[in-house]
Amino acid sequence: MNREIASTKNFWYADWSFPLFCGILSAGIFAGTHMFYLYGVGAFNEIAFTAMLKSGMTTGDYGAVAAFGASFLFARVIEGSLVGILDIGGALQTGIGLGVPALLLAGGYTFVIENFIASVITGLILGAMIGLIIILIRKFTLNGNGVGSTFGADVMMGAGNASGRFLGPMIILSAMVASIPIGLGSLIGALLFYLWKKPITGGAILGAMVFGGLFPIV
Amino acid sequence: MGILIIALKSIIIGGLCGFGVGAGAARMFHAPTCQGMGAFRTLGELNSCEGDPAAHFSFGLGFFFNAWASSVASGSFTQDVDHRIIPNWAAALLMLKNRNVSQTLHNPKKMAFASMLVGILVVLFLNTTTSAIPETLKTTATAVLVPAANLLVATVMPVIFWLAAIDAGRRSGFWGTLFGGLAQLVMGNAVPGLVLGILIGKGVDDSGWNRVMKIMLVAIIILFLLSGYFRGFDMKMIKAFQTSLSYWFR
Repeated sequence: MNREIASTKNFWYADWSFPLFCGILSAGIFAGTHMFYLYGVGAFNEIAFTAMLKSGMTTGDYGAVAAFGASFLFARVIEGSLVGILDIGGALQTGIGLGVPALLLAGGYTFVIENFIASVITGLILGAMIGLIIILIRKFTLNGNGVGSTFGADVMMGAGNASGRFLGPMIILSAMVASIPIGLGSLIGALLFYLWKKPITGGAILGAMVFGGLFPIV
Repeated sequence: MGILIIALKSIIIGGLCGFGVGAGAARMFHAPTCQGMGAFRTLGELNSCEGDPAAHFSFGLGFFFNAWASSVASGSFTQDVDHRIIPNWAAALLMLKNRNVSQTLHNPKKMAFASMLVGILVVLFLNTTTSAIPETLKTTATAVLVPAANLLVATVMPVIFWLAAIDAGRRSGFWGTLFGGLAQLVMGNAVPGLVLGILIGKGVDDSGWNRVMKIMLVAIIILFLLSGYFRGFDMKMIKAFQTSLSYWFR
């Protein structure tokens, strides 16, 4: 413990270096979304969450994804500064990796997501800002004025996670609409993943893909 | 050529993510003195296999297969790549040489560089293997995934958020219903409005109608007015009321 306190001044443990770490991680995550937007690979999120972004990319309506990601970001920033651990899943992967790109795409700012270097820089700046906000909240709340409210952050996150769970069964339904072989494949895949104790969403898509390769949709 | 570009970008992305995750994960062990980055469950999981490189490695491996399957299926890594795979494999890597956790897993500098290496390899592997999948398989995945996702975004999410707002109390139920309905009309999806409604409702529940809440409410109203104006909702609404007016009143 003594070593810990002595080393708080050190770069690797300091408060001021936190925005930097946060920015570097966010740069990678935001660029991951760039990869997904351009090549359809490499998004740092669950299938259900990227599916929402994909839905926005096909319909042009990003409202739901943007709100979803932004509410996670907001909730986790408040929580992270109070408990001392920032949740990278909610704040950075869902917030920076999904909510912010959806907001930007909705506003027509496609350049920062289409261009790799621009996406890295955007992620870096956004992440550093999040990190800075967290350090600032910490400084202020440590001085005694505790933030009394979480503004329903738990409600929003609960609803967000609940909606993600719907995707698995809905993929099976949609596979069965596509064709009988694909539907059966999706069902088998989901069952196997369920037995393997993994989320059925991935199995449902993989099963549909395998049968879709053997019996393509005309 | 395309795959080379993807590989090059993956190396950069993996390095950036790995570095941040590693430093953040090691800093978690010094929270709350030191602001960490990861998750409580990650902290618990890292602790539960503490000291044993094989345990860290196999823990990460289980999630790695799932991440691979998910990448093949839809191009999504799952959040476990950052949360679980990179920190656990980096810890395993460091512990091959030194089993002392306070000098390995708890050291942000060592974890940052070990995670950077792991991140590069993992992201490179996932992205290059999944981008080599034949196009016919991808079209099936898209044909199945997109309708389901559209349904999720257009119907399921608004309903779940709406019910959550109603269940969270009278205030958030009222504001959620009001803003949710308006958001569906103006923005085409109720979720943004529902989130704002919960925000106002729970904020007022917890701290009363103070300055912050009043400013927030005004900001939300301005947001609705502006987005209504820029999406041409005002004109659409006036027209809709005019043309659908019953002949009795003409």
